Amino acid sequence: MIMDDDAAAGSEPQPRRTPGPLRLGGREFPPERALVMAIVNRTPDSFYRPGVTWDEDAALERVHAIVAEGADLLDIGGVPAKPGPEVTVTEEIRRIVPFIERVRAAYPDLVISVDTWRHEPARAACEAGADLLNDTWSAWDPKVADVAAEFGVGLVCSHVGVALPRTRPHRAAFSDVAADVLDRVLLLAGRALAAGVEADRIVIDPAHDFGKNTWHSLEVTRRLGELTATGWPVLMSASRKDFVGETLGVGVDDRLAGTLAATAVGAWLGARIFRAHDVLQTRQALEMVASIKADRPPARATRGLA
Amino acid sequence: MIVRAALCPSPPLLATGVTGQADVLPELREACEAAVAWLLAAAPDAVTVIGPATATATWPPDSFPDPSMHAPALNRLARLAAPATAPGPAPATGPRVDPLRPALPLSLVIGAQFLDGAGYAGPRVLQSVSESASPGACRDLGRDLAADAPLTALLVMGDGTARRSAAAPGYLDERAEPFDTVVEQAFRDGDMSALAALDPDVARDLLAAGRPAWQVLAGALTATSAVRPRTRILYSDAPFGVAYLVATLEPAP
Repeated sequence: MIMDDDAAAGSEPQPRRTPGPLRLGGREFPPERALVMAIVNRTPDSFYRPGVTWDEDAALERVHAIVAEGADLLDIGGVPAKPGPEVTVTEEIRRIVPFIERVRAAYPDLVISVDTWRHEPARAACEAGADLLNDTWSAWDPKVADVAAEFGVGLVCSHVGVALPRTRPHRAAFSDVAADVLDRVLLLAGRALAAGVEADRIVIDPAHDFGKNTWHSLEVTRRLGELTATGWPVLMSASRKDFVGETLGVGVDDRLAGTLAATAVGAWLGARIFRAHDVLQTRQALEMVASIKADRPPARATRGLA
Repeated sequence: MIVRAALCPSPPLLATGVTGQADVLPELREACEAAVAWLLAAAPDAVTVIGPATATATWPPDSFPDPSMHAPALNRLARLAAPATAPGPAPATGPRVDPLRPALPLSLVIGAQFLDGAGYAGPRVLQSVSESASPGACRDLGRDLAADAPLTALLVMGDGTARRSAAAPGYLDERAEPFDTVVEQAFRDGDMSALAALDPDVARDLLAAGRPAWQVLAGALTATSAVRPRTRILYSDAPFGVAYLVATLEPAP
């Protein structure tokens, strides 16, 4: 009897990642360890607390604070996701590269992620010491993967449906959004491997709200297990996003509880990295879930044990 | 021959349940319902719904409107809200109800929903027109619709631009408001030639999805009568940066 290798291989979406640590920079993170990726936006107009880290000194103060709160990675971005005045490649590099150099000098071992979708800022960021290219616009520029391979850094493979960079979803529709996400991120993971990005440095991200409406983002969250089952580390970026706001009927300043609820669900379903504005609370939510899962002992247990 | 025509927008947020718990834009919904009620008051022999889609096609009149492409949890939530209407467990979310059948285009879903809401049980034709159909092709399709034997009412689904503000889904394009003003004035004046003259490339750049549907309407009414129809505007606004227009058109006898 001849085994049909194609059928056997086709029973699970490909490519899959063999279980193992996630390597970012010089660090190795075991599979059961959930990581907090702290957001530091080098923009005057991002959606939450715009401009708070636009001044470079203020931004560095923020880095000191989030490191103290237990962030595992830092995500530095120079261009907001929403439509607005053009930010040229030159301007983007100006916003992020000197800052990356300062952070790298202050924290030689901190994992630095760069939120960019263009290969020129990606290259400049890697030269300055970045460890991960967080391409949230789903390989609009395929050369970003080549930069990751060249510098031996990590790459985020994301899904945005049909959206172009810095556009809002207009009547986004999917026959099955979760399946569409799975297909897209695996396609990009395969391309990253082919380009020479190391397998244990590849991350996948459904990219909540990118080219998706609130219903789609909720569905993707509900079915996050389909992504984590592939073995690729999943990045979840839900912090204070509009799908949280529309679900609860609250503005951007009142979305922490909803964000933590989505975070806990994502963590329970196996996501590995959580991109967050509120580092301390996110860290606590993840540690709570990890202990519920028995992946982590309690901090200090004596009640009933004396 | 066309006895009456109405224009309504067809954003997903008009589909039942898509906005979640909130009733968004009730005044728009009421204007559409009023236009459809007026349309049906002529007791037409048939109603043809025209709406833009990826292709020009006539859809089965009993096509199932499935908004789950925009709102994956909606079928399940609807079942949870009304368990008595259908026995058995609530459906899972995810893939839409019948993935093997092509999904009824959104514009026709909304149109059919308004007909159902008005209690219309007579013959209906669901006709999509391609988003990229040329003005000439639209005019010809409209002419064909007008030549049909029964007394037909047209329900035309067509949105204006989606680039009216910085908060609009299509961001701001300064050309958008003047474009929508031209369209509204054409409907106000019953000026079908102005609709026929709209530039499809500009309309596409400004995300004005209704352009082909308006031009089908123009072709149909021009074939029906050389005199301008009598029109009313029931709603004209862009609360989300997308232009919604509701109008009624009565061909001259």
